[in-house]
Amino acid sequence: MRIAAIFTRFSRILFAFGLIALVTGILFVLRDVLDTTLVALLYLVPLGAIATLWGVGAGIASAFAAFLMFNYFFIQPYYTFAVHRPTDVVILIMFLVVAIVISQLVGRMQASLAAATAREREATQLYALSTALAGLHDEKTIAQTLAQYIQDVLQSEVIELRVANEPELVAQLPDGATPERDPEWVLPMEAVKGAVGEIRVWRHAPAITSREKLLLQTFASQGALALGRARLIRSESRAKVLEESDRLKSVILSSVSHELRTPLSTIKAAASSLRSNAIGWDSPARTDLIAAIDDEADHLNMLVGNLLDMSRIESGALKPRREWNILAEIVGSVAARMKHQAKNYRIEMDVPENLPLMPVDYVQMEQVFTNLLSNSLKYAPEGTLIRILAFVEGNDVHVVVQNQGPQIPNEHLERIFDKFFRLTATDRVTGTGLGLSICKGIIEAHHGRLWAENVHDGLAFNFTLPLIWEGKAPPKLPMEMEEE
Amino acid sequence: MNTAPHILVIDDELQIQRAIRTILTEKGFRVTTASSGNEGLTLAAAHEPEIVILDLGLPDMDGSEVCERLREWTQCPIIVLSVRDSEREKVSMLDKGADDYLTKPFGIEELLARVRVALRHSSAKQGVQNRVIKAGDLTIDLAWHVVKRGEEEVKLTATEYKLLAYLAGNHGRVLTHQSILSHVWDPADADHTEYLRVYMRQLRKKLEVDPESPQYIITEPGIGYRFLADD
Repeated sequence: MRIAAIFTRFSRILFAFGLIALVTGILFVLRDVLDTTLVALLYLVPLGAIATLWGVGAGIASAFAAFLMFNYFFIQPYYTFAVHRPTDVVILIMFLVVAIVISQLVGRMQASLAAATAREREATQLYALSTALAGLHDEKTIAQTLAQYIQDVLQSEVIELRVANEPELVAQLPDGATPERDPEWVLPMEAVKGAVGEIRVWRHAPAITSREKLLLQTFASQGALALGRARLIRSESRAKVLEESDRLKSVILSSVSHELRTPLSTIKAAASSLRSNAIGWDSPARTDLIAAIDDEADHLNMLVGNLLDMSRIESGALKPRREWNILAEIVGSVAARMKHQAKNYRIEMDVPENLPLMPVDYVQMEQVFTNLLSNSLKYAPEGTLIRILAFVEGNDVHVVVQNQGPQIPNEHLERIFDKFFRLTATDRVTGTGLGLSICKGIIEAHHGRLWAENVHDGLAFNFTLPLIWEGKAPPKLPMEMEEE
Repeated sequence: MNTAPHILVIDDELQIQRAIRTILTEKGFRVTTASSGNEGLTLAAAHEPEIVILDLGLPDMDGSEVCERLREWTQCPIIVLSVRDSEREKVSMLDKGADDYLTKPFGIEELLARVRVALRHSSAKQGVQNRVIKAGDLTIDLAWHVVKRGEEEVKLTATEYKLLAYLAGNHGRVLTHQSILSHVWDPADADHTEYLRVYMRQLRKKLEVDPESPQYIITEPGIGYRFLADD
């Protein structure tokens, strides 16, 4: 506070006067044995000490005090300020001049020493700050570090750093204490490409000195540099990601156009031959061609559906519409629908009726079972067994879809869920290469986990789904008694 | 004067318009087509068609708006055409008064089946109601509350019967979870799909030959259920 500062200055002068009074007392006792000139010399000792300890102001004030004391107590006639002897006048004047000069010299030396120390401290702080900022690439951490360093130097009430960003970054010390009033000082942080943010300082007293402002400006430009650098690094890595996704997109595009063209070619061939009248109205080939068009149209529809699902999963737009469902019903309906495709396989289902209701999206779970089953049908040899089982495991339901198809090298077990990952050459199997990644996307959207493992005679897809939904356990319904 | 049922098709895709018109005309219906919601509403007012086939993705207005505006003055069946994955939209259309839906791409058999069901229901609204529903070896007598499988009576609990009666009374039509729940249980229970799942499963066990691949009570994933009866 300002009053405290005045008080400190005042008390320094009091102390100085006290010291002068003390010295005067001692000299007074020894007055008879001491020569006037010697007294004058002895007075210079405390004056030097005062100027050293308490600065120029106290020094000069004490010099005047000492001058008066000297005159009053030691120059004849005693106890008056009158001077009779001309020599004494010279002594007095010389004393005053010397006292003031000493005070000033000593005081100035002290001040420049203090300034040198302050400069050194600032240099150290600046060095520490730039070292600390050098290793940081995250804008939030940079802002926090900078705020901390400024706070260490300024000891302000509140310091706030606002970094223009999406969303705006705010680092505040102490946290969450924005004062009601406007900040005492606002300093923009300028980087090469313009303002990156601003520093707001609330410090009522002591007022922020110009020296502190200067230091703060240096800090601010250091901070701005660090922020600019972090931004540059970020945009560089974003560019890399974009490049990568661009590459992936062209892979996807070529894969997709291949997949789409296959059914299209069939449809085109069948439709044009039907149109050309090359095939007789009663020819059995006619029925075959029409069936081919129908099937391939369905196939195309499925491909497009898969692509849509995938893009939805990637953009995070696949939100399950969860309801309490009976797993056995979902599995049953999928198996029934795929009966035709699976006619050459044995399908064994062990999904207990008394399994709790599960909080899942019916349509999406159907899709998961359809994809897992059709994957098994695609790779497992005909005549083999496909098992679907489900059981409760703690707060989850664990589902296994197991086939007797070829095993997958352990290093690829994770990768089969990647988009367009194929172990077999594309021309040997049909599909988008999206089925399993869609399954993974759906299961993960349900907060579950999907993985594959090799079992002794084949491959097993496993997934778990939580039974607890929004903190609620599966409902149990009060069932009516049978009416007899 | 031509007395064949008149169908209004509102769809902005000309290829679809063409396909539907060809097929329906071939089957003896009168067909009018519109390419926008406004045109559709005008034509509907002018011709008072027996059935409206309405596409969800129209250029000038929302499908549900067309549906609402039609419902302001006509109870004629509305069949909604939509693409896959718009279950939410379909359900909201059905709850807003549409009668049924078809997912593009659809087979012609599906389209004709929907049209037949729609025509039957519009005549049922005029008072001709069938009290005995037959589906395979099932006979459901809505007047006497008797359900038989072959010659044998099937014992149903009160709720099971209410559920079956609602489904069978609307056979051929899709019924949303919400509408079933509020009819059979209570409008306050409209969110409790789990009731439906559990009762439906019980009902299927009693009625279906193979409950896993039901012949009579069909699940419309994400939408509701449909009871298939003999025509």
